[in-house]
Amino acid sequence: MSHLLDRLNFLQSKEVGKFSNGHGQLTRENRDWEDTYRNRWRHDKIVRSTHGVNCTGSCSWKIYVKSGIVTWETQQTDYPRTRPDLPNHEPRGCARGASYSWYLYSANRVKNPLVRGRLMKVWRKMREKLSAIDAWTAIQNDPILRASYVETRGKGGFVRATWDEATEITAAANAYTAKTYGPDRVFGFSPIPAMSMVSYAAGTRYLSLMGGVCMSFYDWYCDLPPSSPMTWGEQTDVPESADWYNSSYLLLWGSNVPQTRTPDAHFYTEVRYKGTKSAVICPDYSEAAKFGDIWLNAKQGTDAALAMAFGHVILREFHLDRQAEYFEDYTRKYSDFPMLVKLEEKDGRLVPGRFLRADDLDGKLGEKNNPEWKTVAFDEASKGYVAPNGSVGYRWGQDGEWNLEERASKADTRLKLSLILDEDHDAVVGVDFPYFGGATFGQFNTDANHPDVLTRNIPVKKVKTAEGEIAVATVFDLFCANYGLDRGLGGDWVTRDYANDMPGTPAWAEKITGVPADKIIHVAREFADNAEKTNGRSMVILGAGINHWYHMDMNYRGVINMLVMCGCVGQSGGGWAHYVGQEKLRPQTGWQPLAFALDWGRPPRHMNATSAWYAHTDQWRYETLTANELVSPTAPTGDWDISLIDYNIRAERMGWLPSAPQWKTNPFEIAKAAKAAGKEIPAYVAENLKSGDLEMSCEDPDNPVNWPRNLYIWRSNLLGSSGKGHEYFLKHLLGTDHGVMGRDLGEEGRQLPKEAVWHKDAPRGKLDLLVTIDFRMSTTAVYSDIVLPTASWYEKNDMNTSDMHPFIHPLQAAVDPAYESKSDWEIFKFIAKKFQEIVPGYLGKETDIVALPLLHDTPSEIAQDQVKDWKKGECDLIPGKTAPSFITVERDYTAIYDRYTTLGPLMDKLGNGGKGISWNTQDEVDNLSDLNGVQLDGSAVGRPKIDTAIDACEVILMLAPETNGEVAVKAWQALEKATGREHAHLAEGEHHNKIRFRDIAAQPRKIISSPTWSGIESEKVSYNAGYTNVHELIPWRTLTGRQQLYQDHLWMRAFGEGFMSYRPPVNLKAVTKAVQDAGDTLVLNFITPHQKWGIHSTYTDNLLMLTLNRGGPVVWLSEIDAKSAGIVDNDWIELYNANGALTARAVVSQRIKEGTTFMYHAQEKIVNTPGSEKTGKRGGIHNSVTRTVVKPTHMIGGYAQQSYGFNYYGTVGSNRDEFVVVRKMKKVDWLDREATAKESAE
Amino acid sequence: MDRTLKALSLILSYPTRELQLAMPEIGAVLASDSRLTAAARRALRPLVDELGARDIYELEEQFVLLFDRSRTLSLNLFEHVHGESRDRGGAMVSLIETYREGGFEPATSELPDHLPVLLEFLATQPAAEAKDTLADAANILEALSARLARRESPYAAVFDSLLQLSGAKADSEAVAELLAQPDVDPADLEALDKVWEESEVLFGPDPNAGCPQVRDMLARMDTPPSAAPSPRHAAE
Repeated sequence: MSHLLDRLNFLQSKEVGKFSNGHGQLTRENRDWEDTYRNRWRHDKIVRSTHGVNCTGSCSWKIYVKSGIVTWETQQTDYPRTRPDLPNHEPRGCARGASYSWYLYSANRVKNPLVRGRLMKVWRKMREKLSAIDAWTAIQNDPILRASYVETRGKGGFVRATWDEATEITAAANAYTAKTYGPDRVFGFSPIPAMSMVSYAAGTRYLSLMGGVCMSFYDWYCDLPPSSPMTWGEQTDVPESADWYNSSYLLLWGSNVPQTRTPDAHFYTEVRYKGTKSAVICPDYSEAAKFGDIWLNAKQGTDAALAMAFGHVILREFHLDRQAEYFEDYTRKYSDFPMLVKLEEKDGRLVPGRFLRADDLDGKLGEKNNPEWKTVAFDEASKGYVAPNGSVGYRWGQDGEWNLEERASKADTRLKLSLILDEDHDAVVGVDFPYFGGATFGQFNTDANHPDVLTRNIPVKKVKTAEGEIAVATVFDLFCANYGLDRGLGGDWVTRDYANDMPGTPAWAEKITGVPADKIIHVAREFADNAEKTNGRSMVILGAGINHWYHMDMNYRGVINMLVMCGCVGQSGGGWAHYVGQEKLRPQTGWQPLAFALDWGRPPRHMNATSAWYAHTDQWRYETLTANELVSPTAPTGDWDISLIDYNIRAERMGWLPSAPQWKTNPFEIAKAAKAAGKEIPAYVAENLKSGDLEMSCEDPDNPVNWPRNLYIWRSNLLGSSGKGHEYFLKHLLGTDHGVMGRDLGEEGRQLPKEAVWHKDAPRGKLDLLVTIDFRMSTTAVYSDIVLPTASWYEKNDMNTSDMHPFIHPLQAAVDPAYESKSDWEIFKFIAKKFQEIVPGYLGKETDIVALPLLHDTPSEIAQDQVKDWKKGECDLIPGKTAPSFITVERDYTAIYDRYTTLGPLMDKLGNGGKGISWNTQDEVDNLSDLNGVQLDGSAVGRPKIDTAIDACEVILMLAPETNGEVAVKAWQALEKATGREHAHLAEGEHHNKIRFRDIAAQPRKIISSPTWSGIESEKVSYNAGYTNVHELIPWRTLTGRQQLYQDHLWMRAFGEGFMSYRPPVNLKAVTKAVQDAGDTLVLNFITPHQKWGIHSTYTDNLLMLTLNRGGPVVWLSEIDAKSAGIVDNDWIELYNANGALTARAVVSQRIKEGTTFMYHAQEKIVNTPGSEKTGKRGGIHNSVTRTVVKPTHMIGGYAQQSYGFNYYGTVGSNRDEFVVVRKMKKVDWLDREATAKESAE
Repeated sequence: MDRTLKALSLILSYPTRELQLAMPEIGAVLASDSRLTAAARRALRPLVDELGARDIYELEEQFVLLFDRSRTLSLNLFEHVHGESRDRGGAMVSLIETYREGGFEPATSELPDHLPVLLEFLATQPAAEAKDTLADAANILEALSARLARRESPYAAVFDSLLQLSGAKADSEAVAELLAQPDVDPADLEALDKVWEESEVLFGPDPNAGCPQVRDMLARMDTPPSAAPSPRHAAE
């Protein structure tokens, strides 16, 4: 609106009056514009909420509501203050979050329950005569009826349904599946519980009560850094963003803080005013690069080489030529540097082997409890071998010595780091180290002049063991040799000269990474120098840029090595700050009983999603990577030449990884048969597995009895965002149109798996029913059979925590769910109720058997100190020892709803706990009875009620030590028993602090320190991981109890990853001759980072965000690459390989490094995506050109920190090693003709 | 009550068996309203027949595809006026207040700007007011009619009838603006390309002229995607 016309420029009206002694004056201006602001502030109420899935920002917002309509939102500014000298947390929130309310009433919202029309039609017809379950059975038994709706997935054709009808179909399908195949064929997938923990728990509680499978996400998203569990025995624990402000040297590595951690970035900018220096490492000129005092643009995928060179400089200048006292002291106490490693002989050559254990020595050093799990070091004080406190052997079966005091049992010790002095070693021997940087492919092939085995001299002691006299070396001495450092012992492959091109040096790294050696030396010196002067205040913020590679462990371990060498972990302002897909469900131990129904039955069925999708979407049938390309030239003798899926099968068999489904036979039937035979169930299962009468499902994933049959997806866009190998999902799991262009191993005539059964024809359409629960019509929803409309983030009550700050705050229902939608808690409650209604007479009280892998933080984590496969006759099948445990769970299918809505009796009977400690929680259960009331009738009579989502929040808050001070004290006391040290002071004074839902509705509340986490909440330090390990001497939950930089498991050694080294990206060979069209010459490395206009808090179909970007899918290219293929900015281009094809606009920019192409992730297929010339189908999403590849070292189990935990360890879905052909499109076809109008959703 | 408006509200609602049974009666009401031209009444007949006779699942699928799934055909009027802009919430609040002033409380899970809700409300209001309100929405009605006509959907006739009842003619300037807006139709490829195009940054003599990219961006945000050209307009 123009004000020019309403305003006098040259004259002043006489009628204008004055007031306040002439200080104020009346004017005649048009003031209509003010109404905009008046209306905006005209609200009935303000409600606190946040954005609840996947965004870890965890920002508290004010939601303005007028007449039951959300009008807008602004940032909350009432976070509790920090201490003096530290900036406050707010403002938190970003442009994505601020645009959310506009999305609430979007046309893309799902308004009613939707069912695929063809399914609805046959369902109603069947229901005229049959009961719900019989109707579903009839449809499934008729291949034509089943195919009629399966084949139309993704092609539109939805009709509305009532809640009654839609949930009746899902409940009937679940009941049918449980009875026909087993409840372990009902899958559910939902990510990041921390962001809306009750919504997550709703689905998993229902699934767990009925015996369904909860799938992991953190590993599948490849956001889990396996290096963290390997090194620390911890899933991921990191400093809060405020601790960046305590750092004086910040290294940003593959993490784009200003773009992807927007609400936290202010701490990063603020601390630079304090003088903190920052170096940024990323291949492209990213938003973060602008913040760096120095920018190192390492070639993508070569970060481990850079990390090695950094380590080379740090070791040389701070550990060898001069020993920085702080570093030496720190690594002696807190790392495995002093531990001794046996050198093992193979073909007359020596390689680093297993850690020396008390068990190896005569008299076992007097250790009776777990001597094979107590590692050994040389003690300067007693001049003898000792088994220092804190190793995993001390954790189980005895009390009081699982700590990091400098003792071995009762005796004081001072461990020797190095045997370098003449008087300390008995000999100097040559030891082989694998080198992977030489043999590689394409643009990574920059270092072909080094052999694949490097022999270096190591000082050793000779020690008498049960196997005879052997040589042992300290981890530190081997570690230095691995970095190529000359220590005056002679021999090859070590140097004192940084300019020498030898693996490990800056000059070598320059050749591989493109970063000049002088810059490498400069940053390494500054990083270490700062850490030495400040006792560890150097920090590395790192993320997806280096974690999403197949060999991400190498990149990450390279960084971790630097931090440990410099004593940064566990120190405020220092350490390892991994922020990607990060989730910290702070009240975890309070939430688990609710989420996995541990109050009614234990254990739940947890499945590592990567392995499951790899098998069930048949991506393994197209595997191009062989174990031969991965195994180390120094590998111990073994049967390593098997397919990647074979490794997974062995891992499942030996109890390392979970299985879903478990067996070909329904567990109900097995339990019945065992009872009929009068046998104990575990023994019966073991016996039948051994005889071959019972077969594991993993051995034959394509057999119809082993398919997952029902899948729930909620809070997730699995098919639009996180489904690596998208086209394989469409082809095999869903059975609809797809863009897979490659051929499988059988068609290619390549070597078939040895363990997995091969069917000539792969199945299409394994799922009977796909149910998606979402508030918007996402790519996943359009492929579903049933779409249930859920409440959005301003329409439900829930809770939210983050690793970025220490507060817990709520989501609240500012308004009722729009249209016919319901909250996730109410939806699953509805399904549970429907299930309970229709199931009597079909299912009742059933005995289920859960196959439980050897879990981390339980005594079974020390089950297998040697790798032995029962199926190969190497050992007997002993459940819980050489195989999974087989645990009986009694389920009552006629009481699913009763149980869903009450807190069950196992809390009273078994208590609560987590991470290896447990406590009695009767008081909390009683308090919940008083607070929530008790059930007055039904099968759960007398139990505390969990009727509403707020009741569910109260359960979490009451049971968790982080939100209930009384529980925190109990938890610390439980830990004291194991460590023999006093810890309860950390929660002292918090006894009576009990946080309730209404408290956090009033203001975000800071959580209470608990032993679930390794940092503390205090007025003195910010939350930082490893703090209690260093300052309270609580061991890391690893084999050695220390930060473990050497991994001695057989498979780690076989794959050459005992020590960290540079491993180039793997060659996935997806650009094949058969697929690549003549004339298409541009082949680029395909990278999928997080974007600016639609990270997590809003999706990529938000019109405002689309407008700020380019309105549809885009792909970034370098100017040079674009020119070579005749592409100019904004051209439509096509990217393809054997996995599929996608279409997008080109963004041509100097920012991008030659050889790579970026496609920001989660750009929706439903938005402005034209057809692909290559496949003739609508262009895919970023995952259309990817395929999951699993890594055997991530399957290891039963071995201290390398034991399974849900979202803690397991295979990860890497996606950065892929290459694509890029070409300009000749003709843009929107595939939107009338004839295909029905396929518009495709 | 204005039975014609009520009838149009009904036939724009999600098809049900109940609606199918009532179609003869609804058809009769529409066929006998002399405010509509004979041609308009004739044009409504195929939809009336289809709703009465076609397989209910096909009708439902068609409705979901057209009105639940296609943003450009949304029956929520403010989708076309405010899109996902910040003004939308406020506009809906005003509409609820209008319903309340008219003596009604919305008793539906649909949002207040849902066209069938509005039509039902208008059916209870004095004819002049109803006419004015419809006239306010003329451009949207015109746009929806054009889009549906292009899909050869019989639903187009409903919007033509509403236009007649409003007595208004779509503002030619507004229509011209709508011509520039994108649609998902292949015929409109060039229009969509236009939206993608970024204007050139010029460092001209006037430093206060502002950034042309931002200006264009804001302009696009102000005018939400709505109607696209129809063959009819092209001929006009």
